[in-house]
Amino acid sequence: MAEITSQEEKQKLVKAYTAMVLSRTLDKKIVNAQRQGRVGFYTPTMGQEALQIGAAMALDEQDLIYGYYRDVPLMISRGVPMDLIINQIMGNSADIAKGRQMPSHYGSRKHNFMSVQSPVATNLPLAVGAAYSLKYRKKKGVVLTTFGEGSTSTPDFHAAMNLASVYELPVIFLCENNGWAISLPVEKQTRVDIWSKAAAYGMPGIRANGNDILETYEAVKAAVKRAREGKGPTLIDAISFRMGPHSTSDDPTKYRSESVPEGSEKDPLTIAEGTLKALKLMDDKMIENIKQKTIKIVDDKFDECEKIPPPDPITAFEQVYSEQTWMLKEEVGDIL
Amino acid sequence: MVQAINQALSQNMEKDDSVILLGEDVGVDGGVFRVTDGLLSKFGPERVLDTPLVELGIVGMGIGMAVNGLRPVVEIQFQDFIYTAMDQIINQAAKIRYRSGGEYIAPIIIRTPYGGGIRGGLYHSQSGESYFVHTAGLIVATPSGPYDAKGLLNSAFKASDPIIFLEPKRLYRSIKEEVPEDMYTVPLGKAKLANSGDDLSIITYGSMVSTVLDTVKKNKINADVLDLRTLLPLDVEAILATVEKTGRVIIVHEAPRTLGMGAEISALIAERRIDYLQAPILRVTGPDSPFPYKMEDYYIPNEKRIMKAVAKILEYR
Repeated sequence: MAEITSQEEKQKLVKAYTAMVLSRTLDKKIVNAQRQGRVGFYTPTMGQEALQIGAAMALDEQDLIYGYYRDVPLMISRGVPMDLIINQIMGNSADIAKGRQMPSHYGSRKHNFMSVQSPVATNLPLAVGAAYSLKYRKKKGVVLTTFGEGSTSTPDFHAAMNLASVYELPVIFLCENNGWAISLPVEKQTRVDIWSKAAAYGMPGIRANGNDILETYEAVKAAVKRAREGKGPTLIDAISFRMGPHSTSDDPTKYRSESVPEGSEKDPLTIAEGTLKALKLMDDKMIENIKQKTIKIVDDKFDECEKIPPPDPITAFEQVYSEQTWMLKEEVGDIL
Repeated sequence: MVQAINQALSQNMEKDDSVILLGEDVGVDGGVFRVTDGLLSKFGPERVLDTPLVELGIVGMGIGMAVNGLRPVVEIQFQDFIYTAMDQIINQAAKIRYRSGGEYIAPIIIRTPYGGGIRGGLYHSQSGESYFVHTAGLIVATPSGPYDAKGLLNSAFKASDPIIFLEPKRLYRSIKEEVPEDMYTVPLGKAKLANSGDDLSIITYGSMVSTVLDTVKKNKINADVLDLRTLLPLDVEAILATVEKTGRVIIVHEAPRTLGMGAEISALIAERRIDYLQAPILRVTGPDSPFPYKMEDYYIPNEKRIMKAVAKILEYR
């Protein structure tokens, strides 16, 4: 277990644990709602809370995030309000993008969280460009970009790693190595450890237990320090496990037998609880209390968001360009 | 035209320090066509980036810059090499505004030489404009000479949407025009009537404009010649106006015929002005084959093929 001693870091850890519980509770809520037909689709994040929230603990507000579609805990730990996430999942009129994107494709400029795309790893070159902007404008910020281990097979991963290194840019490449790219296990994705790929680009590669919040935090903290000092990018291989399916449309029993049950010793929440108790920051009663309170908060927020009406259909044809084209004006007239 | 584009880049870089150039060999070498010649020494390596050889990375990095307040101008050395970057162009650049509810925008300019005429064979001659025109969220522009090249590029710098700027490489050094020193603009989305006539309309763009104009002049054809200048969005009003005027339409482009610009223009005319047509719409285009090396003169539409279509359309009763 990594050491934390300062009061500030201890407080951070308590806050981070609360975010983990909120993420887990919200995750389960959305999955259940999907089964009830109240939500169309979802990519569960269960199992990846520690690595995402541990990473966020190492960032400042002005740092930029270029994430992917399994980053709800990362958003929550950045202070993104829960209703922004639920509204996106529901695609209602309060959603920033007015229900244009399928669930799990959020973003919030206010929280420096770039809106998410589906094609994997295409966010990585953008993160490099974002980091170039920061460096060019002599700003202090760094860029965190996240992706699954399946993404390391893409040309975008290679391009981004190489470019970030060549231009010595402040990028932290956080591989959320959950072992599975839908049905493909990591052993069939690549023949080498993910962290070792960093050597090919001349940057450090760090392996971290992604289920241990403090270990990921320490790894990202070191990478952030390096980036802020102008020493360039780092690759972090945060090894974790996708406790749920790839998405609500996926049945993992078809391709894998291993599992990490909730509450088992590999569950990142269990590990975090052990840490909190060892540091005497919480006891079982407090933990149970947080969990129960969070269920109520999530249920209430979910019900509240569910009452928000769907977007006006006309909004589906807006914001394609700075000004609506004559074609679209005509087409909207025909459709509506 | 090389000088006109160079001047537009240089003037915009002087005016706005958020303008950054990136691409393969654009710095020390000044680009393989010398379009960016001298800009590295003028603006330094932080603003003129000689990048590694990775089109999708260059474009993706450019998009990331654009999202974060810079004004990147990406050069793709030949349009033929852009395809690995199509994911970035189609799924990132073109969709960022829409998918983020307007919170993020990507005002990137992607410049790239396209078309034949330099004996470049299959991989240095393609006209792939239709691939881009099929993507909502992009603006696609192509100049037919130095004046428009600078003016359209100046407009591109003022726009907040991603722009594919297709430069007909054959015209880089073959067309001379007076280009004013000042930062004038040529509007995006507006076609230009390059010649006025009553008997027929020839709708074209890019490298074919000068070929059509030469043909019309030499053979004393009384034709409207419409230079589209922007392919997405098309200037439908200008297209319909010339159809109303002449009732006979030929569309000329270098790209292959099937689902080329001619297809869309024909459909627009058929939907809206079929009663004005006095003859079937004809297309003079590149064939539906790869672009050949030795036989390139047979591939690119020429005077002979254009005149064949002119004769056919004027005879039609």
